[in-house]
Amino acid sequence: MRRRVVLACLVIAAVCAAAAAARPLANPGVSSTEIDLGSSVPLSGEAAAAGSVARGADAYFKYVNAHGGVFGRKISFTYLDDGYDPGRAVTNTIRLVQQNQVFAMFAPLGTDNNLAIRKFLNQQGVPQLFVNSGATTFGRDYKQYPWTIGYIPPYSEEGKIYAKYILQQFKRPKIAVLYQNDDYGQDLLNGLRKGLGKKASAIVAKVGYDPTTTDVQPLITQLKASKANILCIFAFGKFSLQAFFGVSSAGWHPQIFVNDVSAASSLMVIPPKSATKGAISIVFGKDPAAPIWANDKGIKLFQSILAKYGSGLTPGASKDGYYTAGMAEAFTMVDTLRKAGKSLTRAGVMRAATHLNEKNNPFVLPGIVVHTTPTFRYPITQVKLQRWTNGAWHPFGKLVSQPPG
Amino acid sequence: MKAKLLLEALSFALLVVAVVFLPHHVSDFHSRELATVGMYFIALVGLGILTGYSGQISLGHGAFMAIGGYTTAILEVNHGVRDIWTIPIAGLVAGAAGLLVGIPALRLSGPYLALVTLGIAIAFPQLPKKYGHFTGGTTGEILNLPKAPFGLHTTPNHWLYYLTWAIALMLLVCAWVLLRTKPGRTWQAVRDSETAAAASGIGVPAYKTLAFGISAFYAGIAGSLFAIATSFVNPDTYPIVLSIFLVVGLAVGGASSLAGLLAGAAFVYYLDNHADAVARWADHLPFVSVNPQQSGIPSVAFGAVLILVVLLLPTGVGGLLHRLLRPLTSRLYSRS
Amino acid sequence: MLAFTWSELAQQVVDGIRDGGIYALLALALVIIYRSTRVINFAQGEMATFTTFVAWSLMNQWAHLSFWEAFPLVLVIAFAGGVGIERLLVRWVEDAPLLTVVILTLGLALLLNGLTSVIWGGAEKQFQGPFSTQTVDIAGAQISEQDIGIVAVAVGLVVVLALFFRFTKLGLAMRAAAVNRQSSRLVGVRVGWMLALGWGFAAVLGAVAGMLIAPIVFLDPNMMQTVLLYAFAAAVLGGLDSPVGAVVGGIILGLTITLVGRYVPYVDSTLKLPVALLLIIVVLLFRPAGLFGRVSVRRV
Repeated sequence: MRRRVVLACLVIAAVCAAAAAARPLANPGVSSTEIDLGSSVPLSGEAAAAGSVARGADAYFKYVNAHGGVFGRKISFTYLDDGYDPGRAVTNTIRLVQQNQVFAMFAPLGTDNNLAIRKFLNQQGVPQLFVNSGATTFGRDYKQYPWTIGYIPPYSEEGKIYAKYILQQFKRPKIAVLYQNDDYGQDLLNGLRKGLGKKASAIVAKVGYDPTTTDVQPLITQLKASKANILCIFAFGKFSLQAFFGVSSAGWHPQIFVNDVSAASSLMVIPPKSATKGAISIVFGKDPAAPIWANDKGIKLFQSILAKYGSGLTPGASKDGYYTAGMAEAFTMVDTLRKAGKSLTRAGVMRAATHLNEKNNPFVLPGIVVHTTPTFRYPITQVKLQRWTNGAWHPFGKLVSQPPG
Repeated sequence: MKAKLLLEALSFALLVVAVVFLPHHVSDFHSRELATVGMYFIALVGLGILTGYSGQISLGHGAFMAIGGYTTAILEVNHGVRDIWTIPIAGLVAGAAGLLVGIPALRLSGPYLALVTLGIAIAFPQLPKKYGHFTGGTTGEILNLPKAPFGLHTTPNHWLYYLTWAIALMLLVCAWVLLRTKPGRTWQAVRDSETAAAASGIGVPAYKTLAFGISAFYAGIAGSLFAIATSFVNPDTYPIVLSIFLVVGLAVGGASSLAGLLAGAAFVYYLDNHADAVARWADHLPFVSVNPQQSGIPSVAFGAVLILVVLLLPTGVGGLLHRLLRPLTSRLYSRS
Repeated sequence: MLAFTWSELAQQVVDGIRDGGIYALLALALVIIYRSTRVINFAQGEMATFTTFVAWSLMNQWAHLSFWEAFPLVLVIAFAGGVGIERLLVRWVEDAPLLTVVILTLGLALLLNGLTSVIWGGAEKQFQGPFSTQTVDIAGAQISEQDIGIVAVAVGLVVVLALFFRFTKLGLAMRAAAVNRQSSRLVGVRVGWMLALGWGFAAVLGAVAGMLIAPIVFLDPNMMQTVLLYAFAAAVLGGLDSPVGAVVGGIILGLTITLVGRYVPYVDSTLKLPVALLLIIVVLLFRPAGLFGRVSVRRV
């Protein structure tokens, strides 16, 4: 027994020796030559397609580094895989903050993930910038969480926009909703309800699903039985796909609204055309697969940056909207770093992030102003509606917005 | 015999000393890492009692950890109980669940028990989702961040470390006592020959069920500490692979030696959390090109190790050491 | 709860039978391995997933074969893989306690799952199946060629396997090797190779299951994790050594879970897995041989 315990002590000592100590820095994540940013995104699992936002951002940071960086500092961006699991996002974040000593967390992805890490980051005074989630709380609850700020249009607003459009276009709307049974799906559903106002009874059927469900197609069958003429798919990744397949095999032809995050062109081409034709969504960024941007300067810049500085790219990256979204966020991040000034501090970067008035982001729709104030923390609230026809997204109408929350 | 007892006490004291002084020689973050190793250690001690001593396999101990973690979360978030006080309660609730599982387990032999416990690991995460109104469902619960009580001036990570290892050492002593008194001897008798044990009048079923309960208690405490450390629980915090990694840790370390259990716990933690380092090492092998960001590397490593251990080292690292050192130890004390 | 209609019930029945067919296909692989080697193979799902990815690569990456061109290739590869696993890994623990082999299969499952992620990445892929998804309306339910195909394949395989085990010499030898290795060796049966064949067949069945399931649940490394539990439930319900039981058990399970999940107010989609687990426990405790099986699973 003794020898085994001695061995145990040796094991522990060896382990610690191998994991040699790193002394904490005075101003974490910033040196005269470098700024360290961290993120946690899904690179595996059912949300892996969305993880490409980090790759897009990474390419943009490398491009900026190649052109002098920010006040001579190069941006070093470390992003870890969490498989869309909030628990892993927490351990990734703790590691990035305490071991890698990052200056700020940039664009972590996932509503639940960001909720899970928010308390820790705010307690440690680490900025949680440009969160990749439209959950309204990230813009609304800044009094409690002053170090956090969102980016993409809030889901509650998205739901309201669909509601207003439905009320405009349909005399007798009967709405069925398939939604993911978590904060993400419910935020969208609540926005829809609020936007319908007195006509909320137009929602004749709704079914929530749990992300461990194998197949949501039977739920589509249930919804069809409600005889609705409108279907809202507030789902994610493969579940949106299954929903479309379900609509096709059920022989149903409602007007479909699919939420922005699941509406990437790369996903929309997979289900049968009969199901996806005419589907409507919103968009804030330039989708590189949409024909309307084929000759756009911003998209050409996007593609050249990916080609020159992209790494670990997935197939079809140059036409993948997640990459453009990531670049849009990175553009705003660099903009914020510049505004924060040469002597860079965490408080300074939060001040810059809450005083944005960015009009020249080449990766978002023309006319969108990335705008924040200390009490209005929704950087992007202007979107356009878009329709899926002939295998591509076509934005239509003017920029619209609705108050979030 | 007396010499052996003295040696064991001495070695335990050495461990205590190591535990007390280590945090001063490693970084704050590494204290947190060592705390997590401690949590796996606690779970493995429990699992060792179940599998190594009473001979019952469980591929579902992650579920008992989840029960412990959720108990802590619910008590803290819904009832405002201070985190430390939730720990023993979490252990008891998980232990009760273990007793419940232990009853049908009596009628299932090896592979079928493995199947049922694996089924528990797979099916259990659904329960918090169903009863979402007080478990937080898929979104989970966010707990308070760990903080030292009584205004002690230690960092949260050091606090976690001392809390975990204090509990681990206490539970280790309890296990040691248990194994050297009637329950332990009964389990060994059962393991060596169940029919003989039953024939000599020992209440075999009661002790086997007790083993399940005790090991679940340990797992529940480990799970509770996990929850406190991450300040977050949701169904994915205790995934299917956690149950399997625990079994791998036990197989690697060997169930019946302290060094083995520590090695097993360290192995599970470091392989799972430093997969990118493993990937970079693997990249140096010929014909192999691995992207450090690639997911799946821990599973490959754990799977390969489990296979190797089953084929080559059925008694784990601890058993291997025991065999290697037998010529030396047999001279030190007689085997009684 | 949505209102009840007969046509929706018809659709739920169709969906339930189709899901049951999915479970049955993987359950068949589990049953074949159990019947030929007495092993409960926890790696069955991962073996199926791995071979399905190989199929995907043959169809989309390394070559651009059609489904039916890739199909025989994949079956051969799967067979070779199954035999290889038995001869190279399992054979060393052939005579060890069953539990040791079972743990080995666990390690194998982990290894394959990780390899699949490492080789093909974690993102989901779409898999082009052999059957079309166009539906026809029968009694208010939409039934597709795929739905019928899955069930037909499962039933067809059962017939083939039943005939094989009962009427061929090889089938007899395999059954003998499984039931009593010592005696079989004495009468000249090459036990080792019979076990290897069992693994090979199971791998092939798993590959078929994977290729038929992937178009529905989408191809990703964790595709089979939950299906595996349902497959075990189906196999246990039907009797672990009965191919007929696997299919009957699968369909009963599929129907039960779908209808209970839809029409019993308390149970919804989240409780499907626990229900399957409960079924396994109840069957193992009270009727270990299942509906059609003949083996006792209790230790002496």
